[in-house]
Amino acid sequence: MSKLNRKKQPHTITPSAGIIPEPVKVMLNEDVAVYLVGTGTEDLLRIEFVFDAGQVEEKLQMTASTTNEMLTEGTSRHEAIELNEAIDYTGSVFTPVVDKDNAGIVIITLLRTIDRVLELAAEVLYNPSFPENEFGMQIDRKYQQYLTNRQKTSVVSREIFYNTLFGESPYGRITTPEDFRTITTNAVREFHSRYYKSGRLYITVAGKDPERALPSLEKYFSGHRTDNNNKIALNTFPEKIKPLRHFSEVPESVQSSIRIGWRGVCKDHPDFNGLQVANTILGGYFGSRLMKNIREDKGYTYGIGSVAGSLRYGGFISVITDVANQYREETIEEIIKEINKLKKREASGEEMMLVRNHMMGDLARAFDGPFAVAEALRGVLDAGLSMDYYRKLEETVKTISPGKIKELVNAYYNPDEAIIVIAGAK
Amino acid sequence: MISFEKHILPNGLTVLAHYDASTPMVTTNIMYKTGAKDEDPEATGFAHLFEHLMFEGSVNIPVFDTPVIHAGGENNAFTTNDITNYYITLPANNIETSFWLESDRMLGLNLTHGKLETQKRVVIEEYRQRYLNQPYGDIFLLIRPLAYKKHPYMWPTIGKDISHIEKADDLTVARFFKDHYVPENAILSAGGNIKPDEVFRLAEKWFAPVPARKRKISNINSEPAQNEKRVMTVNREVPANELLMAFHCGRRTDRDFYVLDLLTDMLAGCESGRFSNVLVREKKLFSEIDTYLTGETDPGLVIISARLRDGVDISIAEAAINEQLQRLCNEPASDYELDKSRNRYESHNLMAMTSASNKAFNLAFFEMLGDASDINSESDKYMSVTKEEIMETARKTFNPENSSVIYYLAAKR
Repeated sequence: MSKLNRKKQPHTITPSAGIIPEPVKVMLNEDVAVYLVGTGTEDLLRIEFVFDAGQVEEKLQMTASTTNEMLTEGTSRHEAIELNEAIDYTGSVFTPVVDKDNAGIVIITLLRTIDRVLELAAEVLYNPSFPENEFGMQIDRKYQQYLTNRQKTSVVSREIFYNTLFGESPYGRITTPEDFRTITTNAVREFHSRYYKSGRLYITVAGKDPERALPSLEKYFSGHRTDNNNKIALNTFPEKIKPLRHFSEVPESVQSSIRIGWRGVCKDHPDFNGLQVANTILGGYFGSRLMKNIREDKGYTYGIGSVAGSLRYGGFISVITDVANQYREETIEEIIKEINKLKKREASGEEMMLVRNHMMGDLARAFDGPFAVAEALRGVLDAGLSMDYYRKLEETVKTISPGKIKELVNAYYNPDEAIIVIAGAK
Repeated sequence: MISFEKHILPNGLTVLAHYDASTPMVTTNIMYKTGAKDEDPEATGFAHLFEHLMFEGSVNIPVFDTPVIHAGGENNAFTTNDITNYYITLPANNIETSFWLESDRMLGLNLTHGKLETQKRVVIEEYRQRYLNQPYGDIFLLIRPLAYKKHPYMWPTIGKDISHIEKADDLTVARFFKDHYVPENAILSAGGNIKPDEVFRLAEKWFAPVPARKRKISNINSEPAQNEKRVMTVNREVPANELLMAFHCGRRTDRDFYVLDLLTDMLAGCESGRFSNVLVREKKLFSEIDTYLTGETDPGLVIISARLRDGVDISIAEAAINEQLQRLCNEPASDYELDKSRNRYESHNLMAMTSASNKAFNLAFFEMLGDASDINSESDKYMSVTKEEIMETARKTFNPENSSVIYYLAAKR
């Protein structure tokens, strides 16, 4: 037997995104799209209902999230306790999900209880009763959580960051104690009747046998046709963001949270995919320049990362970290130094290859298993795109030049125009 | 049912292989049967510090992460009181890279003083971020030393005192590696799109040359039975009072684990649990309440953690929890409740099997507990739990002398 060469990595094949799965689209009653993803080995299905009913639609702060959380707190047929007993008895898990743009429910269920589960799902989504008692408890719970969050440097810095980027629009508004007194069951009821409509809904079904959900979906979700599918156009963002350095005191915190960032672009913008590559080099993976410098070289932090993210009506770029209070100035300086390096010098061929391979691996894992595919699918449907998006991203990752990346960093990551938010002890 | 094959190399390394053709990936999971409980009481936090150092390069490979990324993979690790677990997920074609990397770091590390000093700082920041800079974050640093007086479960994985990390020197670190990172103390488990024969061929090629060494047997004190309720009161700048209760119970492999796992699910595992129905909704005492088991290899804890609503007296809250626990001791659960928890077990168990990486980890975990094939009898153990057993186990577990309680009070400003 020849001696092992432990110095040399075994032969590897350049990673690829693999086969990008294409969901089967079926229409319910001509207005609700159902996307079926058939993959996986277990007798389980993950079913997600997504409505255009996110924060972006709300007039009163917290209406979208409160409406969503209250869905499982009682319906016209069941009081809260009975309803939750019925759901739990099936073994399924109902998770209400709300974000800036959308709201709905993710259900994971055994195949054998699918009919009962979808009957309950229709009840929860279309006939919630918003009882006053449960509403009061929910608001109290949220208020307690709100007070706890005031002590988290990461939450405080995030709020100020979004507020600076998106102003008093629903993307940027900061919740105040007053908001907990303003919200009412009527506001929630009104929000529900306006936005939880079949014209604003799509459904994804992922698992070994997704067709098995169709008869029950037909049975329980075909009779709710409406025509309210107007999307609002959110255009209340500040036109131009002024560079800003903001400090919020969180007394007695032993670390400071730092956010540095800019407005970015949406997922359908021609620069978006290129920015993903640029951002990965800067702070998007464990081997990124920021991780190498701030964690692996200096040991200032447990972690540092950056994102080039997209909401439906606006994008953002942000560098995020938690560091000991005494390292915070040096950390900000080092972050800016790393950005300036990227603005001046093209990344080497070796680094480009590493980042391309990392992103290809990430893409391949995004389609590994039914739960992952369902999430990947939602990521594009929400932006009004199709799985084709991932083919384009794959192409960009393979072919983008270091010169183009330098150009993008110069266009989007400008330290002189940055918003710098710090939350921590004085 | 999870099919797998098992092979033990002459140097003592256990190798498990699970074939799953539905994924293009393979996860290579390597579990060292060393966790925080194996540490010297004067040098705690080492198993976890060591987990960080394992990514700092090994004898023949200067940088760990780069080859993983080149092969399109991802990797990570975690430490518990019982084990330290590492995993690498790669496209099936490139899986040999994980065998090359893991075998090299089993041969030896490439540590320098500078790397150690940096990772000490990183771990100290991790400690601050997770435990100190979070409201209620230190409660888990408090409960272990209250519940355990002899057994090393008395300290958390981050360590008994962060000064132990600050003081860690090159020599102690090198000794920790020699004592614990040996083939006979490890379980290699590969799951995904790779045939068992190929797993064994690669294991033979890369791991068989790693010399057998004896692992150091840890000197672990067993915890004497507790015979008096322990109480600790702390005041912190938080918005609401929190109550934490811990009761001693059996090992992960004992029958009472399965009984207690179903029983705690009945109490607070889901929205319709007894705690939620009676204490949260009906009596309005708590805004949140949760129960779980630590599930450790040595006798562990049942934990109840509850956030109180404004204006609720903490002794009334505690009495209400105890009343529910007494009900479990004295009245049989209904068939309906037991069925509900069994249904929930069934679906949660399937959820855990939807990824090859989870299956690889779980096989290694059950092998560590005694025998990987026990993974396939778990379900029967849960399904056979009876109402009588629930009452019996509740009586044994939920008596005040067996409890440690923390009153975590919101300081008035």
